[in-house]
Amino acid sequence: MRLSKQARRVAKELFARCRVDDRLDEDRVRAVIRRLATTRPRGHVGIARYFQRLVALDLARRSALVESAVPLPPDLRGTLESALARRHGPGLRFTFTENPGLLGGLRVRVGSDVYDGSIAGRLAALAARF
Amino acid sequence: MSNLLQEIEAQIAGLTTGLQRQNVGTVREIGDGVARIEGLTDAMMNEMLDFGNGVMGLALNLEETELGAIILGDYTGIKEGQEVRTTGKLLQVPVGKELLGRVVNTLGEPLDGKGPIPASTYYPVEKIAPGIIKRRSVNQPVQTGIMAIDAMIPIGRGQRELIIGDRSTGKTTLGIDTIINNARLNRAAEEAGDTGYRPLYSIYVAIGQKQSNIANVIRVLEENGALPYTIVVVAAASDSATSQYLAPFAGCAMGEWFMDHGMDALIIYDDLSKHATAYRQVSLVLKRPSGREAYPGDVFYLHSRLLERSARLNEKYGNGSLTALPIIETQMGDVSAYIPTNVISITDGQIYLETDLFYQGIRPAISVGLSVSRVGSAAQIKAMKQVAGRIKGDLAQFRELAAFAQFGSDLDAKTQALIARGKRIVEIFKQPQYQPVPVELQVAILWAVQNNFLDDVPVEQVKEFQNRLTEFLTTRKAELLARLAREKEIKPDLAEALKAALTEFKQLTA
Repeated sequence: MRLSKQARRVAKELFARCRVDDRLDEDRVRAVIRRLATTRPRGHVGIARYFQRLVALDLARRSALVESAVPLPPDLRGTLESALARRHGPGLRFTFTENPGLLGGLRVRVGSDVYDGSIAGRLAALAARF
Repeated sequence: MSNLLQEIEAQIAGLTTGLQRQNVGTVREIGDGVARIEGLTDAMMNEMLDFGNGVMGLALNLEETELGAIILGDYTGIKEGQEVRTTGKLLQVPVGKELLGRVVNTLGEPLDGKGPIPASTYYPVEKIAPGIIKRRSVNQPVQTGIMAIDAMIPIGRGQRELIIGDRSTGKTTLGIDTIINNARLNRAAEEAGDTGYRPLYSIYVAIGQKQSNIANVIRVLEENGALPYTIVVVAAASDSATSQYLAPFAGCAMGEWFMDHGMDALIIYDDLSKHATAYRQVSLVLKRPSGREAYPGDVFYLHSRLLERSARLNEKYGNGSLTALPIIETQMGDVSAYIPTNVISITDGQIYLETDLFYQGIRPAISVGLSVSRVGSAAQIKAMKQVAGRIKGDLAQFRELAAFAQFGSDLDAKTQALIARGKRIVEIFKQPQYQPVPVELQVAILWAVQNNFLDDVPVEQVKEFQNRLTEFLTTRKAELLARLAREKEIKPDLAEALKAALTEFKQLTA
């Protein structure tokens, strides 16, 4: 479905109002969606869809995915979280997953930045050099 | 063996120490050689993007939530959701003398099967043109070997002269003739050990042309021994629009290397109409807003930034030059269309080729009235100025009077003489393709016209007379031509010698 310019503009405005101190306020987001569903203004589906996309992009920017070959002990997780928060600012959402395909080490993705310290990544880089 | 193991060990050690931050994104949409990518928050304008498996892209649209990139090469292997990385590099092509004699694609990769190109230097494809501090005005000629051009529409080194005309009026031929003539001059200077001569290297950029035409051009260059001084950059009709869009910029980067190193280069963009069309296609699939004739708003800037990169640098900056001969194809002779007017206004003059003249047998079919060179006369050699100064005016008068003469009314002697002179000049300027004439010979022939040696030759025999005169001068008066080439000026004693030679020739043929 093609979105109208009007819907985009409204969604962007709503999104801007959901931000408090440069961070997305979840309660406000929920309130906006509830209000959209009840009042049903003109083009509400398009607005909601674009709003959802903006929220999804923001969440992706503020989420940190930590992949490791083996489960990480809680203290290591703590240090990792604080180190990443120092670098990328507070308010990151952490997800820890296990990926045996990494063979060893860590692969961290924060927004569109990737820190690849896994054995698999190093092997791939080595293979590319030859 | 242990050495090899140590090397691998060192490589691994190097890999373990540095943990690099990479900026990645994911492909959201792919098609028509254009990808839309989410993420990549650090990407810069015109940055190269790594799609993996050796496929590269170029970031062209930086938008609020996503990024539009064009893909260089094969895009069929790219899938939605695939990871893309920034590289921190701009698109660059190999440059240097190693490329001479080679046929390459937009990325500088060889297409001629003569093996890899051992280039060690790379230049970015997009570069800001030299500023006013670095420049100087043109003062050295580009000898095209085409009499009509060298006499009436002279081109200087560092000039941008547009070649414009309908399809099949000989636009490419003018460019090829110029390449051949300069290759001849380069070789002659090399053989004579003349270190004072500044060789002119050529770059021919084929944009959106048929492969058969390109193959033909390469064959002609090879047969005439011009390929060793030429780089051919090919983005054929079957190549992607993105590579057609980038080809002139890649060729220009190769030319700039010569300019930056104090050498002279000539670049022919064949042709910029197809380039504009390719750019329109790229812009439309990138969903950029379209303007007149669906071209994007920056189509003028596209050509102006390309042609501004041709320049004559002053001595402090190496004294190099890059001369550009862009070609534009018009439809039904309409020079007031969008792209032609844009390029006319950017260049330092144009050579207009007319279909009517072409079919009347006047080849090259240069329309004298509409063709101009705004700066080139400063670069013309003095001897040529002496003989050709009045020719453009004479021809203009002839065209005006020829219209009257068609009524067959009685004309006074002066008018008849003007018409007779005009007819002979038109004949003299006819020239077969791929046969450039050396400038000293051009001067000698034009001197003969100006000094009434052709007035008693019937118009239909002028060409034959010219051929015989050429043969006579090159075989029997070679030292006179050499003197003319050396002195570059007709002083009274040289004029006497020319007069004596021509009188002798007339007596021989009488």
